[in-house]
Amino acid sequence: MKKLKNQGSNICFLVIVILLALAPILAGAGIIKSTSMVLFLGKCIAFAIVAIGLDLIWGYTGILSLGHGLYFCLGGYAMAMYLKLQETQGGITDFMQVGGLTELPLIWRPFQNIFVSMLMVFVVPGAAAGIIGYFIFKSRVKGVYFSIISQALTWAAYSMFIALSPYTNGNVGITEIKSLFGSIKGSGNIDNMMKVFYLALLLLVLAYASSKYLVDSKFGKLLIAIRDGENRTYFSGYKVSKFKTFIYVISAVFAGVAGAVFVNFNGSITPSQMTISYSITMVIWVAVGGRGTIIGAIIGAFLINLCEYNLSSGSLVDIWQYIIGAIFCITILFFKGGIVGLVKERISKVDRKTD
Amino acid sequence: MEKRYFKKIAACTLALFMAISLVACGDSSSAGSGKEDTVKVGLLHSLTGSMAISEKSVRDAEVLAIEEINKAGGVLGKQIVYVEEDGASEPSTFATKAEKLVDSEKVATVFGCWTSSSRKAVKSIFEDYNALLWYPVQYEGMEDSDNIVYTGAAPNQQIVPAIEYLIAQGYKKFFLIGSDYVFPRTANMIINAQVKEAGCEVVGEEYADMDQTDFASIISKIESAKPDVIINTLNGTGNVSFFKQMSEKNYTSKDYMTMSFSIAEEEVATIGSSILKGHMVSWNYYQTTATEKNKEFVAAYKEKFGKDRVTSDPAEAAYDAVYLWKEVCEKAGSFEVDDVLGAVRSGEISYEAPEGTVVINGDNQHLAKTVRIGEIGEDGLITEIYATNAPVDPDPYLKNYDWAVKAGIQPLE
Repeated sequence: MKKLKNQGSNICFLVIVILLALAPILAGAGIIKSTSMVLFLGKCIAFAIVAIGLDLIWGYTGILSLGHGLYFCLGGYAMAMYLKLQETQGGITDFMQVGGLTELPLIWRPFQNIFVSMLMVFVVPGAAAGIIGYFIFKSRVKGVYFSIISQALTWAAYSMFIALSPYTNGNVGITEIKSLFGSIKGSGNIDNMMKVFYLALLLLVLAYASSKYLVDSKFGKLLIAIRDGENRTYFSGYKVSKFKTFIYVISAVFAGVAGAVFVNFNGSITPSQMTISYSITMVIWVAVGGRGTIIGAIIGAFLINLCEYNLSSGSLVDIWQYIIGAIFCITILFFKGGIVGLVKERISKVDRKTD
Repeated sequence: MEKRYFKKIAACTLALFMAISLVACGDSSSAGSGKEDTVKVGLLHSLTGSMAISEKSVRDAEVLAIEEINKAGGVLGKQIVYVEEDGASEPSTFATKAEKLVDSEKVATVFGCWTSSSRKAVKSIFEDYNALLWYPVQYEGMEDSDNIVYTGAAPNQQIVPAIEYLIAQGYKKFFLIGSDYVFPRTANMIINAQVKEAGCEVVGEEYADMDQTDFASIISKIESAKPDVIINTLNGTGNVSFFKQMSEKNYTSKDYMTMSFSIAEEEVATIGSSILKGHMVSWNYYQTTATEKNKEFVAAYKEKFGKDRVTSDPAEAAYDAVYLWKEVCEKAGSFEVDDVLGAVRSGEISYEAPEGTVVINGDNQHLAKTVRIGEIGEDGLITEIYATNAPVDPDPYLKNYDWAVKAGIQPLE
């Protein structure tokens, strides 16, 4: 029983990975009738990766970011720009032409190269988070003030992406792109779909393993110390702002990678993934799943998105938002630890009885 | 003790909700499928979020058409069953749901979308799955997908004739104001070229954020530019703020005439007809359009959805879309997308719509439509003040307009 308790989240993650790994095989063999469900699960993997990143800073370090959509989009756009240039063979796109450009703008040039583009997926969100984090944490902005700043920055970036429509295609975003391995839609492209899907799954495993490693190390203990008593940690001689900036950058890189994965499955990226409401949705996944557990973030991201996917159609189409809303309210009111917290509580009760 | 009790109830409720959510898919996908005498179609609109208020009227018109067709015996002897998906005003959700409809639900066709961003997000999905989308809203053109039939106006069926009309009426100085997204940007690019060609002048071009509510600076720019007419491509809530703030300064259509491309009967009701009285709009259809078919359509719409509801151009185009799909299927004798698209491309599909006879152009899959310039009246209805003699052929790329070709308004090959 004790062992189960310690390994619970790893076992749970293993089950999720196995289930996911089976999905495209079943679709390939025709047991799951539609490949679109697999593509949707792919998007959920992306959401789970960004949720892990959020859990690292919110659940473990106590930094509530309401602007992670920004980093999600930066990674997503980096990937989308590369894929779009694949479509146009390095030429200018239709929206650039409408915007009055005659040649490929400088900012798009690096994305002609796959290696540079993949690097950008990590570097752009990481660098943005590094600069933002450095100045904010150095001046010891924390708590709700940090949340407000993160929202404002996201909003500013959103407005900028809309305003620079010759470069970003405004609110339509970058559309009509295929994945890294070519088209993944339809029954003729199942091989490509599998490649993209397993690559995404691998990234999820890497994200989970590296976060687990981080939070179980001494560094992780320090993050919790910062969360529970930031001033005390300062007085113990730790440079809190550096640690905070570091974990914030890691979290942003996770979000960027998630954005890139998302683009591959979605075939487009728009600034609406950058809005404040979308960023808050990401936080809700973590809250419902259970923060400070990593596995909770993954469960939350999958569960909420699957619920929305199934509810917002057919007979419940008019009331689905009330049901999702009720799930949030009940979780926040009664189960502060989210779903994982609830399960943990149950297990320890059973544990006590058997002892 | 009591707290624990609450917690238990809450846990049960939570579990129940989750169970409903996860099971709900099974029930929606099994409904109607597998039956021999039905055909399944998808409706993909935003029923929640900021676009819901507009898209609901379009969805309602589609539901009305489907029910009428069913009552009259269906299509090829089959009753239409519709599956609704909520795009939630979010392009990526549209993409996910489009995939679900065409791949999981295996619908024969989809009627859906409103915003250009949602259409662009689903376009490649319909192409990749070789499915069929009917898009019912006027838009900025520069597109002709093989897998989309456009039942709203192309720019040369709304924008270009409206500017022609204004120039003929003697308006010389144009001021362009729009929301900051693809439709206004493209529309203004076209208008700039057209106005220049006619020897008139654009004295200002301003863009507002989608949810901007303060128009003071734009209004002061208008005041100093002294235009004859303001070309308005604002969308949604921007219109409400702009016109309210103009009327607070006591400006009426006599001081600054406006020509709007996104204000239909629904929007007039929201903004207030006393403010909009005398201003001009350009569409293909108004509730007041005088055809026999329109009388029936308006009566049926009001009977089903309420006396205070109004019909509008997008709603009418959506209603046409369903009937046109029926015509196409009957011509093709099949629901298979390839057969249906073959019939569409024959260019022989026409339908006696509330706006008059519409014909699908076989080359670009848009409709030939009559253009109508209207004036907003005090009663909130729009009356026609000018109409083209015959339906205008669709030309989404403006290939047949020399000034557009000269200005380079063609997309990339």
